[in-house]
Amino acid sequence: MRSYLALARGQYMAGIIYRFGFLFAILGNVVYMGVAYFLWKSIYRNSETLRGLTFDQAFLYIALGSAVFILLKTYTDWYMAYEIREGLITNQLVKPLDYQLYVLFGNLGAVLINMTGITLPTLILLFAVFRTPVTWGVGLLIFPFSLILAFLVSFCFDYFIGLMAFYTDSNWGLSMTKEIIITAFSGALIPLQFFPESLQKILLWLPFQAIYHTPLMMVTKPDLGLETFLRMLGVQALWVVVLFALTRLFYNQAIKVLRIGGG
Amino acid sequence: MRSLREYLRLYFIIEAQYIKARMQYRTDFLVSSVGMFFTSLVTLLVFWVLFNSISDLAGWSFMELVFIYAFYMLAISPMQILFDHIWQIRFHVIQGTFLKYYFRPLNMMFYYMSEMFDIKGLTQLVLGTILLVYASVQLDLAWTPVRLALLVMTLFSAALVIIAIVVMAGCTAFWVLDSYPVLALAWRLREFSPYPMNIFEGAFRFAFTYLVPIGFIAFYPSQLFLRPEEVSPLVFLSPVIGVGLFALTYKVWTLGVNRYSGTGS
Repeated sequence: MRSYLALARGQYMAGIIYRFGFLFAILGNVVYMGVAYFLWKSIYRNSETLRGLTFDQAFLYIALGSAVFILLKTYTDWYMAYEIREGLITNQLVKPLDYQLYVLFGNLGAVLINMTGITLPTLILLFAVFRTPVTWGVGLLIFPFSLILAFLVSFCFDYFIGLMAFYTDSNWGLSMTKEIIITAFSGALIPLQFFPESLQKILLWLPFQAIYHTPLMMVTKPDLGLETFLRMLGVQALWVVVLFALTRLFYNQAIKVLRIGGG
Repeated sequence: MRSLREYLRLYFIIEAQYIKARMQYRTDFLVSSVGMFFTSLVTLLVFWVLFNSISDLAGWSFMELVFIYAFYMLAISPMQILFDHIWQIRFHVIQGTFLKYYFRPLNMMFYYMSEMFDIKGLTQLVLGTILLVYASVQLDLAWTPVRLALLVMTLFSAALVIIAIVVMAGCTAFWVLDSYPVLALAWRLREFSPYPMNIFEGAFRFAFTYLVPIGFIAFYPSQLFLRPEEVSPLVFLSPVIGVGLFALTYKVWTLGVNRYSGTGS
């Protein structure tokens, strides 16, 4: 465990170097929140509530969603593809470490960097500038746990796409497709409630909603009741177990095609 | 100085070679085109989902937004296809490989940008055309020769606006080395350009009109075709803004290029 934590720490230290980048990322996020504010203001021009959400709830959902988006954007799949393509992965394979956990803890370091450098400042601005009201509810207490599970689900997708680099060099297209499918169908850009009924049902059965919809609901509708939240948490946990197992199996297959010509 | 014709001829020779080389990786082309396809349509999907709950967005119907979106896709594709190499400039500047562009008797910006021709960007061009035709038919827009000429003109200046914004963001590499954060910000701003600008108020509308004029990438020029009766005088500014902004960007590029002194290796 200690060696894995060292990996996370190393990644964190490496990330702090790029402080200049944080500034622009925060600026980008603040502009995004401003745009979202005006967009949703005009969506709610004629109605108090839409699909069971008030303007304040919808805006909180979108703004918090953008903060979570930044948090989870670790470029892990890009980095893995680079390591595999260049053969640098051998450096990791010779170490007595589990590769999945190695990537996971590196990823954790990157998430912590995003959290201190971008997400927290953005959230502070969110509440200071837009004065978004948050209602109290038991969901707020469960949110941190849900966020951790969301991180693990998101990691599995990154890890899976990263592993695809064993088979193909075209990681740009794969990573972009993955990112778009997740943002479109997880409720990252628009609450799932706004989707047509039939589509909503399908989306709730897919793992993507575990990344954004579930944790964000706990903050926007924190009074849905402990039982509902525990069930949502259970579904998330189930996805984590399933996806971890599947990507592990995939790794065992993928590693067999690896051929590195010396160097 | 070489003539424009000679540059065009050169460009075709360079790109023909580039495309031949890229075509070795057919699956990559296919997979990236799929990625591009989905990426291009995600904002439109959001609009579509929203219109299940609302009938108009700040007075604009869904089909009008599709038209604006199609205009946006067409306006950004020259930047995507012809100027994609700007994303690599930070690597060239940091590693010193940028020096090679000083050694040919060619315009440096031309030479630098010609080294990449983003084939997957063609997906955007095709998709934009299809959507533009579709929305025009649905909205019953009358396309006269004059209007078509206006469309080409407005698209050209809109393309210059987005090229200028992104290239200028990339040029910051000459001063700060890693220009990725600035580029990523410009990229993000670009994504707001198909939104109806009349939803914004105050500082945001001012910024999107005059500061980082993304309003001129799609919204203002497409009003000329959607609602010619109520066009704002801003629309007629768009060629001036396009050409002016590009000239400014070229100036910044030249300043950066003259300032760069390599890495010493």
